[in-house]
Amino acid sequence: MAAISPQATFEGDVFSAPLVHTDSNLLTCMEPDYKPFIPANSLRRMTRLLKMGLTTALQSIRDSGVEAIGPIVTGTGKGSLQDTEKFIREIEQYKETALNPTPFIQSTYNSVNGLIALQVKGTAYNNTFVHRGFSFENALLDSMMLLAEGAPNTLTGALEEMTAEHFYIKSRIGFWKPTPTDSRQLYDQLSPGSIAGEGATFFVLTGTPTPNSKAVITGFRMLYKPTAAKLAEGLAEFKEGIDLVLTGRNGDSRYEHFYQQADTLFPGIPQLSFKHLSGEHDTAGAFGMWLAAQVLHTQQIPAQWFPMLKALPATINRVLLYNHFYGEQHTMIVLERV
Amino acid sequence: MAERVFITGMGMITAIGDNVAENLEQLRQQRSGLGYTSYIDTIYKQVLPVAEVKHSNDALFSLAGITSHEGYTRTTLLGLTAMREALQQAGITDVQTAPTGFINASTVGGMCDTEKVYFDIVDPAKSGTFLQYIDTLDCADCTQRIADTVGFSEHIATISTACSSSANALMFGARMIRQGFLPRMVCGGTEALTRFTLNGFNSLKNVDKQFCRPFDQQRTGLNLGEGAAYLVLESESFARANNSRILAEFTGYCNANEAFHPTSPSPDGDGAYEAMKAALAMSGRTLEDVDYINVHGTATLNNDVSEGKALERLFGNNVPLFSSTKPFTGHTLAAAGAIEAIYAVLAIQQGLIFPNLNFKEKMEELNISPVTELMEGVSVNNVISNSFGFGGNNASLVISKYEG
Repeated sequence: MAAISPQATFEGDVFSAPLVHTDSNLLTCMEPDYKPFIPANSLRRMTRLLKMGLTTALQSIRDSGVEAIGPIVTGTGKGSLQDTEKFIREIEQYKETALNPTPFIQSTYNSVNGLIALQVKGTAYNNTFVHRGFSFENALLDSMMLLAEGAPNTLTGALEEMTAEHFYIKSRIGFWKPTPTDSRQLYDQLSPGSIAGEGATFFVLTGTPTPNSKAVITGFRMLYKPTAAKLAEGLAEFKEGIDLVLTGRNGDSRYEHFYQQADTLFPGIPQLSFKHLSGEHDTAGAFGMWLAAQVLHTQQIPAQWFPMLKALPATINRVLLYNHFYGEQHTMIVLERV
Repeated sequence: MAERVFITGMGMITAIGDNVAENLEQLRQQRSGLGYTSYIDTIYKQVLPVAEVKHSNDALFSLAGITSHEGYTRTTLLGLTAMREALQQAGITDVQTAPTGFINASTVGGMCDTEKVYFDIVDPAKSGTFLQYIDTLDCADCTQRIADTVGFSEHIATISTACSSSANALMFGARMIRQGFLPRMVCGGTEALTRFTLNGFNSLKNVDKQFCRPFDQQRTGLNLGEGAAYLVLESESFARANNSRILAEFTGYCNANEAFHPTSPSPDGDGAYEAMKAALAMSGRTLEDVDYINVHGTATLNNDVSEGKALERLFGNNVPLFSSTKPFTGHTLAAAGAIEAIYAVLAIQQGLIFPNLNFKEKMEELNISPVTELMEGVSVNNVISNSFGFGGNNASLVISKYEG
């Protein structure tokens, strides 16, 4: 697995890298040097999300030790916003004439999938889900079905970027907190809205354990606009033996009650939240899954990321990840130690 | 063994009709939906033909059966219109009566409406009701509006793989049924014409100024279209217990990537060949069993060579009857796979082979040419439907006559 995120998750030691924080209400990705991954002539043409997505995908393949990659499945809520915005602007600016097609092509939601397939010669199944807080999770469901159908492995990931223009657009409908908020205090200052984020996260999934396996997914559920009763029922299904609850809490007072429901269902079980690391975005759940797998694999938690953390169990065998996107798409994933 | 998957309902709206019956009638009459746009604000209004649905958004509200005018995009309205018919045809008055999933497909979501107000949206000095369109730009907006209007609350998803999007939606739904997640799925796609996509394809020099001519030596590109189509898929056990009317069986499918080029297919049609071959193998049908192929046939220079070569490679000297229905509907991008899947069912039900309009001259690269006149009274038992897209995405579906 691999992740480019606002934190130092892509290279180096996550246990010693300092916590990146902001009071601009936007956590921006820490981008690596792409040259070791992408040939210079391709790199020049590619926009930011394409570089982040492709590089993370390639790094996760390296990390997995898998030689031949099978199906490629991704999720993205918004695709390459930079390209979409550029093409809209150029249509206006050049009055629909002499347009460069590159931003149009790259704005297509499956453009990163196509690039990955090209680079790794991946001729198997290829699919892209574009459904807000269900984008990554549908990619995950598709991947689990592919493994059940006999695929040797899948490359499964998510990608999202935030542009200045889109940040402004979403601010007009209350996505972000109205006043600058220190990301380190995200959970202490409940108010309408959250802080924005972005990221690219990829996993290589296999149907059976390999020496490089980090964690195993043993439970999974998506709920669309659930009632309180339906959510409680969904969460209760995964109640057994959870050592750690990882939530997508984001400081948004309008939807905090869903997470509070989880609090009451898991009393006394240690809980951590990750949106002060990743920010809020359509595919933040993928970052949450990366973090859960990281914790299960290393049996450690990057202490500098969680100064609020008091005590943890000696061993963490089972983690429940519960996330939702602005109260609409709710997802629960149970991960266990291999 | 995984369950068989049946098609038990269909609904659609395209430039040639507001429902399945109207589409069938226009196909029979060989009447194209191509013309010029009334609703897109573009300098190409009188230059580039499109296959536009002949209704304003106001008229679509009543077709879609809703009164509200706030934040519903043309994409949503087209989708809702097709969805209502699909459910009605399947005899579903309330989707809550059985666990039912919804897999939608879209390439640019609500761009059709947001592009008209985008520069107001990004201008802090402007404010107004247009702000209701802010969150309609993405692809999930139309899916959720449709889901919420008709009451889907089980699994929902939106797929975007360019021109193969709704073929992949059908495949994903069928796989969820076969793996036992849900007994019934409604799958398809919706697409509205936009200045964004028209300029996109035009910038790629892929749009014909004449009515498109698939598989013709003189073809110069595609014409865009708009529309929506949904198919109700049911597991065999559910369909039997529910006493559903079975329209056809969804027997095979394959999604394969070419890994050749971001926007062009390989000259020999490797992806198309793989997709058709694997879909057919899954269906348990032989090459000889295929009676008709509804080809992707966009009429771009590259697609038709590549797809034609793939047909010749797979079927040798016995390429089945084939045609592209894009000259009727235009290329409806994310909706195309589902629209053409319905045409495949109609071909089977009615014993028809639809003509490939505007074809005159055989391509020099190929030994084959499409069907050019409506054929009636044909025994059609198995149809392959192809959808190929940007990013090397190839999808083939096999739809078969229901034989108990």
